[in-house]
Amino acid sequence: MVTRVDLENTYEKAKAAVAAATSLQQLDQVRVEYLGKRGKITSVLKTLGRLTPEERKEIGQVANKVRQNLEGDIKEKQEELSSEEVIKRLAAESVDITLPGREHVYGRRHLISQVIKEITDIFLGLGYKVAEGPEVELDYYNFKALNTPADHPARSLQDTFYIRKAGAHPADNDIVLRTHTSPVQIRVMKSQKPPVYIIAPGRAFRRDVPDPTHSPMFHQVEGLAVDKGITFGDLKGTLEEFSRQMFGRESQVRVVARESFEAGIAEGGQQIRLRPHFFPFTEPSAEVDVRCFACGGVGCRICGSGWLEILGAGMVDPNVLIEVGYNPEEVSGFAFGMGVERIAMLLYGVPDIRMFFENDLRFVKQF
Amino acid sequence: MLVSINWLKDYIDFDLSPEELSDKLNLTGTAVESIKHLGQDLGNVWVGIILDIKPHPNADKLSLTTVRIDRPEPLEIVCGAKNIKVGDKVPVATIGAHLPNGMEIKPAKIRGVTSYGMLCSKAELGMGADHGGIYILPDDIEVGVPLTKALLLDDTVIELEVTPNRPDCLSMIGVAREVGAITERKLRRPSVDLAESSEEASAVAVVEIIDPDLCPRYSARVIRDVKIGPSPTWMQQRLEKAGMRPINNIVDITNYVMLETGQPLHAFDFNTLHGGRIVVRRAKNREHLETLDGVVRELDESMLVIADADRPVALAGIMGGGDTEVSDKTADILLESAYFNPSSIMRTSRSLGLLSEASARFEKGTDPNGTVYAADRAAAFMAEFAGGSVDEGVIDVYPKTIEPRQVPLRTDRVNAILGTDISLDEIKNILRRLELEVEVIDGTTEMWVLAPTFRPDLEREIDLIEEIARIYGYNNIRSTLPESSGKQGGLNLRQKLAESVKGRLVGAGLSEVLTYSLMDPNDIDKLQVPKGDPFRWFVRLLNPLNEELSVLRTTLLANLIKVLKYNVNREQYDVQIFEVGHTFWQESGKDMPDEEAMLGIALTGAWEQDEWYEKARSADFFDLKGAVESVLDELDISNWSVRQFTHPALHPGRSAELLIGEESVGYFGELHPNVQADFDIPRTYVAELNFNKLIDNASIQKEFSEIPKYPGIILDIAVLADDSVSNDQVLEVIKAAGKPLLKSVRLFDLYKGKGVPEDKKSMAYSMVFRATDRTLTDEEALDSRDKIVNRLSKELGAEIRA
Repeated sequence: MVTRVDLENTYEKAKAAVAAATSLQQLDQVRVEYLGKRGKITSVLKTLGRLTPEERKEIGQVANKVRQNLEGDIKEKQEELSSEEVIKRLAAESVDITLPGREHVYGRRHLISQVIKEITDIFLGLGYKVAEGPEVELDYYNFKALNTPADHPARSLQDTFYIRKAGAHPADNDIVLRTHTSPVQIRVMKSQKPPVYIIAPGRAFRRDVPDPTHSPMFHQVEGLAVDKGITFGDLKGTLEEFSRQMFGRESQVRVVARESFEAGIAEGGQQIRLRPHFFPFTEPSAEVDVRCFACGGVGCRICGSGWLEILGAGMVDPNVLIEVGYNPEEVSGFAFGMGVERIAMLLYGVPDIRMFFENDLRFVKQF
Repeated sequence: MLVSINWLKDYIDFDLSPEELSDKLNLTGTAVESIKHLGQDLGNVWVGIILDIKPHPNADKLSLTTVRIDRPEPLEIVCGAKNIKVGDKVPVATIGAHLPNGMEIKPAKIRGVTSYGMLCSKAELGMGADHGGIYILPDDIEVGVPLTKALLLDDTVIELEVTPNRPDCLSMIGVAREVGAITERKLRRPSVDLAESSEEASAVAVVEIIDPDLCPRYSARVIRDVKIGPSPTWMQQRLEKAGMRPINNIVDITNYVMLETGQPLHAFDFNTLHGGRIVVRRAKNREHLETLDGVVRELDESMLVIADADRPVALAGIMGGGDTEVSDKTADILLESAYFNPSSIMRTSRSLGLLSEASARFEKGTDPNGTVYAADRAAAFMAEFAGGSVDEGVIDVYPKTIEPRQVPLRTDRVNAILGTDISLDEIKNILRRLELEVEVIDGTTEMWVLAPTFRPDLEREIDLIEEIARIYGYNNIRSTLPESSGKQGGLNLRQKLAESVKGRLVGAGLSEVLTYSLMDPNDIDKLQVPKGDPFRWFVRLLNPLNEELSVLRTTLLANLIKVLKYNVNREQYDVQIFEVGHTFWQESGKDMPDEEAMLGIALTGAWEQDEWYEKARSADFFDLKGAVESVLDELDISNWSVRQFTHPALHPGRSAELLIGEESVGYFGELHPNVQADFDIPRTYVAELNFNKLIDNASIQKEFSEIPKYPGIILDIAVLADDSVSNDQVLEVIKAAGKPLLKSVRLFDLYKGKGVPEDKKSMAYSMVFRATDRTLTDEEALDSRDKIVNRLSKELGAEIRA
């Protein structure tokens, strides 16, 4: 026969065991010892039936209270212990966050491709399409249709690569490595009616011995707009818009100095300057300088004069329009061409054009 | 064209500084390449006269000179040059001079003798590259004056880049005309005051033009009893500033008048011309002429010569002959002032590789109506500075007069092309400033413009519009954007796909390179390419720079391998690169070579680096195949397959041909060990795929497919098969046997070694079974697996461990 005092003593012991438990496992052992199926408190409750109603009432009340109290104690201890265990686990699982991450290694696009993309994106936004053409061209597309006279020095064997034709006399050679991407203009105009708004990025070839500023192969972006009422003012405006986007603050080109380009313009300066020049396939023609994006136009080591020459441009010569079957009295147009390597060299300070084609990965992966 | 500002002011007044003038010229189409202020840094440099020359007491190679300048006491100066003699006038840099080459003159003991200055060469004075010794000054120069004053060096020379359409600007008068147009000032043409003798030129000399198409005009004058000697210092100095070397009075005068007027002149020693005749004709084939430079040249009938009664005496418009050259003994001169057909001169000059100041002008077009003025101007100088007597009359053969051109011009057209609002009056004003006569058609804004013969570039309305634009000022034209009707920019689909493939390769770890479209044909040998292989269908250059760049590339491999080698040689051992570019080939019987865009890949070295979490791993065939598969995946191409590929450049057991459907689109594999050895490169993997065919096969149509509603059952099997059985064969059987419940199958392990017989391998596959209309039972899935197992063992003799 258990007494009230027995129960209270049991509870005190249980309470002490709960308090002494240092892990959830130990705590569970305590729970089983007192509250399990054969636990010390459970078994008291099981014997209640044998008692008198008075005893039952008294002992029952006490036993239930003791059980409730103990359950509460265990729960409290459980919470305490489990939060301690989490803390321990977290501590055990911590890592050196300064170890390098597992990074997938990416390659790089060639700098020339990146610059071409930047230029292309600008003109796509201005409503242009991209046209392409062969690198091996007929003299007709490369020179003749572009109003270049038969005895023009650019056509000489000194300046232009010719393809050797089996059995042909050297004078009959009429296949060249294109010396500019301008023949694409002719191909496009011959294949469609105006309006034409295209740019033609691509490779071009000149018979230059490689040195820091010359390469027998280089890249050009040629542009052409032919439509009703195209004017020289449109050419200027287009090139200004291009230079603002290419060299200004919104450019993706990662150069440090473009703030000064913006500053130079903010002070009321022109972004570009056109100087009259001569090209066979345009008239009037211009060489186009862009405000030096390194110094903003005050003159520096890179530009000297505050201006960087980066483009040739002009109004499409009427002879060219006639050659492709357009009527120069109905439509007019402008064309421009720029050297991609030169722009890349100026923008990024690349000292030698040959580096683009050596493809040293320490160069390629810089950009 | 080198232009002395002081000389220019003979013809035009302007009050611009050389820099201001240059800016204006730049913005109106005459590019100024350099501005050189002469006489700078020539303080304390004087004209001296050598009084005495003695050997240096302590040095064989030096001499001790006594030189007088403006000081009472002559100076003792040690000198190393040998080209001096007593009485020579020379530039003397005295103590305190800072020469243009950076040299500072201080009193110095040279081998024990004090030298009080330095006798100067041209190079030391910054006046050219003449290292031939001390600069011997002209005799008529005054001793003791500052050198800058004596040589008229208080001047600026600007260098102009004259475009080929503006031969008129290859003359001082032409440049002055430009300056006049810019500054709105009137040009001053020098008047010629020529006193003729009573002898008639035509009585002693005859000019005959046999080929008037090549020589439309030949004017000549006869000047007698000239005394050959130096030309006046001012003339010599002007020639020097223009970059020409003074020779003697007669030659200097012809050069001077050429520089002034743009009309090249030639002086023959009249008494050496047989028969007193000038015959302008085509050369005969294999006719010879020794030109002034001492070279005997073989001519042909495409070339125009000036002949006398018997033989050629000059290569027309290019260079005179040695036999008839003006010499110290020359007494009488026949002065030629002609107009030659520009392209004829250009062709001859090119084919002989012979350029001269004269040919540079004739080949761009001189003024056919300027010959007599230039001849008169030179004849007057010869009278004045060589004591000559000018015969009466110009012999002038000009069978068909070349008239100025009438060019129509519409005001509306000007403004339509330029986007301006320039008035008729303004147009007239600009054109007249350029010395073009304008005649407005009554009641209209249209006009006729008379283009003078010194402006051969003005033939069409657009040529005049350009003149108006450049003088009006390009930078004064308002900027606009085209007011287009319906232009839509954007890349086309192929271009977008091409960009995305390149982006995917970059994402896969490869870097893009760009190599020449040209290659070294010998590299094809290194690739072990047999005779007749398309890699040998070279497109050859007629005029290559060198053997290494003498053919167009027939494959991307060679140049990619070279890039790889370039990097490996520079301690960049891990190379993962690609290039998209054209290859070219020449089919026999075809005129035009073919070209095609290709994708090339090259890999070597580590694919994975040593990391704290994993070990390094070298690139192998399957990294290469993975790169190829990533391209196929980017383009959503699924109907591709590979088959064994044999090419002498590739490892026979590690190369594959890629097929899309039935079509071959390229190959990939390991380079043959011999090829690696020949190129001296480590183990390398390459691919070359037809880029256009890849793009052609891109699948661009995608449609939503239902996401599975019911769970699938995953079952794995291990297939123990002969080494010769391929993954593709196993997959084919599994897929066929697993229908319709098998939804996917994937190889997840491949094992050879302990527990597996020598000639066998174990391939483990994970399979997913699923029904689309219900939850599959385990029995159904196991049934399906059993069917697969049976078929594998029956068809491939494989043993299965489930």
